[in-house]
Amino acid sequence: MEAGSLLCGSIPWNPKLRLRRRIKSPSQRLFCRASSSSSSSSSNSGYKGPKPRRDWVADWVSNNDDAVRGLPIYVGGASLLAVLLNRTVSGIAPVADASSSQSRADLLTLGLAVTNILTGLVWLSIRPKAISVVSPQGVECQRLYSHVPDSVVAELLWVWESLSAVTCCRSLIVVYDSRCILQIGFAAKSSVGNEEAVAVDAIKLMEGSLYQNAIKSGAQSYLANLSLYPGKSELPFLPSNTQAVILQPLGEKGIAIIGGDIIRGFTTSDQAWITLIGEKLDATIAKNVKNLPLAVQDRI
Amino acid sequence: MSNTLCLNPLVQLKIKIIPPQFPAKKSTKSVSISARLQNSQTPSNQQEQQLNLSVLRFTLGIPGFDESYLPRWIGYGFGSLLILNHFVGSDSATTTQAQLRTEVLGLSLAAFSILIPYLGKFLKGASTADQATIPEGTEQIFVMSQNVSDAQKEDLAWATYILLRNTNTIAALIVVGGQLCARGYWSIPEKVSKENLLDWFERQIEKIGLKNLKDNIYFPQPEDSALWEMLPKGTRSLLVQPVVQVPKPGSNQIEMVEGFVLLASSMSYAYSDKDKAWIAALAKKFGGNNLFTDL
Repeated sequence: MEAGSLLCGSIPWNPKLRLRRRIKSPSQRLFCRASSSSSSSSSNSGYKGPKPRRDWVADWVSNNDDAVRGLPIYVGGASLLAVLLNRTVSGIAPVADASSSQSRADLLTLGLAVTNILTGLVWLSIRPKAISVVSPQGVECQRLYSHVPDSVVAELLWVWESLSAVTCCRSLIVVYDSRCILQIGFAAKSSVGNEEAVAVDAIKLMEGSLYQNAIKSGAQSYLANLSLYPGKSELPFLPSNTQAVILQPLGEKGIAIIGGDIIRGFTTSDQAWITLIGEKLDATIAKNVKNLPLAVQDRI
Repeated sequence: MSNTLCLNPLVQLKIKIIPPQFPAKKSTKSVSISARLQNSQTPSNQQEQQLNLSVLRFTLGIPGFDESYLPRWIGYGFGSLLILNHFVGSDSATTTQAQLRTEVLGLSLAAFSILIPYLGKFLKGASTADQATIPEGTEQIFVMSQNVSDAQKEDLAWATYILLRNTNTIAALIVVGGQLCARGYWSIPEKVSKENLLDWFERQIEKIGLKNLKDNIYFPQPEDSALWEMLPKGTRSLLVQPVVQVPKPGSNQIEMVEGFVLLASSMSYAYSDKDKAWIAALAKKFGGNNLFTDL
């Protein structure tokens, strides 16, 4: 059974490589909408360029999303009532005809009011629903195939750090040349009961339909709601409550399996980035690793 | 003579910078406001949805026409008609107070309708249907410092490619450890020859002091970003992300700025929070990359 090789000191322990909790809004941690506020100007000494202005409108809308979505409805509704009230108070008959200048002005204003109301209703109808994060049920692990060169290790770890920081990724497995060269993040707990993570059986994975279809198509496969897919059984190393999975082929010899903790949590932007990162990873691994030697454990 | 490595921008990796294929991540759905549509609903929202608000989401079917701007066009049109009605439809002697009140209300509504698409841009889940276009007066270049190793070349080439491909960027500049790579559509002064391109970029960078930048800066609007001579003509958004050298574990070193990633776009508000997160992650690749820092 292909078991990979536990890290066991072949790669020095790096505190920075500890699994970090993905923050809910990485953008807030890294920068704000109009970054480089005046308080940070001292840290940018030597920089002689202009400073960005704070975007008050953007901040206000972002912080009051629900209220802004309903605003056109209130504005349009109030205007509609105001037009009718104006007509009533002025003693004009409440009929919709365009024979007088007053009526024409009223009709145009009513048209604008209705436009605003409809826009507000559209904004409300397409409000994205916040889907809650599901904490993976498993253990955290960090397994790296020991015969992988340092340059590949650095690349793999950068991929993991990026995915875990920017997306909803909580598990990453990289299988290449019939070896699991990286298993990091959350994994299913082994039934043995020793708090170990379930190891990736690369051979069995490669015989499964998920892998075969991904390699055959050469394109990324996004299982947005993993619970709906019967092929889930081919990924026993992932936590049982993994919500979404991306299968990214790495050329013709490997695959990256990215598990997320939110249903439909990977955006189209994430998918585009993962596709190109996969190509780079394939190129890096292929260039630096000619043939992965069998691990000691594999010599049966 | 400067050591400039000018690469043919048409070979190497495929770049789809020519619209409408650029960038690669755009959705083609036509809705009044583009947003990520969630299928599952909480019970509290279901009642609201049962009012069948979805019938309000329509499309005129005009290719290239963004329906989210429809309120703005209606505001312009109806506002103009109101003014026309005031001056042509009646004379000043017969204009009543009621009509004046209606016209003031109508013009206020028109102004609000014109503002609606701008507010909608900042709502959660809103994605712009605009695409970055190539402004006139720019030329496509791909230059890199000459004294870089093959591995460094690959990293720089790939990074600029992915930034141009996956974001609304039209021009990318990466400076790390003294090495420079510029790619995309830039406005190069005529007096600057291809051999002196790198020197020109270096001079511009020194003039602004970009290498001293420790925090990222983002100019989402054109009036802020059109100030630098080095930027392509028609730049409307600018993002500069510092590359910070991560100290080795166990060392007493502090984080040091090793360079930056500069991205210019021809559309305003070009970079979403997600884009900025990915760009920061890419910058970290160079910060932790010993290929550049051990030079």
